[in-house]
Amino acid sequence: MVIGLWEILALLALVGSGLAVVRLQNAVHAALALIANFLVVAGVYVALEARFVAMIQIIVYAGAILVLFLFVIMLLSAASANVGQDLLPRLPWLAGFGALGLASVLIFAVTRFQPPANAPALGGGLPQALGPLLYDPERWLYALLAVGFLLLVATVAAVVLIEPERIVPATSHPAHRRQDKKPSPPISEQKDERAVVKR
Amino acid sequence: MIWLIASALLFSIGAYGALTRRTAILMFLSIELMLNAAALSLISFSKMLGSLDAQVVVLFIIAIAAAEVAVGLGLIVAIFRRRETTGVDELRQLRG
Repeated sequence: MVIGLWEILALLALVGSGLAVVRLQNAVHAALALIANFLVVAGVYVALEARFVAMIQIIVYAGAILVLFLFVIMLLSAASANVGQDLLPRLPWLAGFGALGLASVLIFAVTRFQPPANAPALGGGLPQALGPLLYDPERWLYALLAVGFLLLVATVAAVVLIEPERIVPATSHPAHRRQDKKPSPPISEQKDERAVVKR
Repeated sequence: MIWLIASALLFSIGAYGALTRRTAILMFLSIELMLNAAALSLISFSKMLGSLDAQVVVLFIIAIAAAEVAVGLGLIVAIFRRRETTGVDELRQLRG
């Protein structure tokens, strides 16, 4: 495989934006760097004959998932990366050594791989080529259905985790008033009780 | 081959971020980076071996990442409601 200018530039962009994701001190900037990384990866997918996956990468990953990240960062005002006190203040270099070791092991492993000389063509990885595989009952159809079901369950789980009924104070909520004889205390007192019980 | 090396580098960078970041959201971003590195290696193997199955697996990875982000960000928002923080150093009420 010939290594041209495009490969070098894409590699530099990938590593640079990846380092920006893990080093930038503002979470919004880190998320934007991750979007840049995903766009470069989508370009690499196009070069590797995976055009449909590249489109999905841009639409779903860079478009939907990362926007959800940005939305939550801004909703929680959690842009600052320096919160609280560091319990292990002098250990980040250890993580750096661990990452370097992991990188060298992985690069050693992948350079051992010998690709076969004449691999069949992929047809550009267009939907026309992927669709028959996805909907073949002997290949991926049931996995596809399972993933769809997983997405449904995850959506329901996200709604349950957010606990919409806790937004309204328990006393003023009509559903609670009908069930409870005595009015339940407002949210702030409930929180205090819970804290006491946990300690 | 160069893309396999790129995916190894991205995976290591993501692991470094997951180890050093101190808020849950930024750790989550690093984990997304690692997930994407794995997908990149799958696509690269798909090109070298001439098999489309790996591309289907990458589609599933993206769908599962969407589910994971929905649940994970729901968890982060729920924790933020109770504790007013997303710093993982302050969430240690479960220690023995």
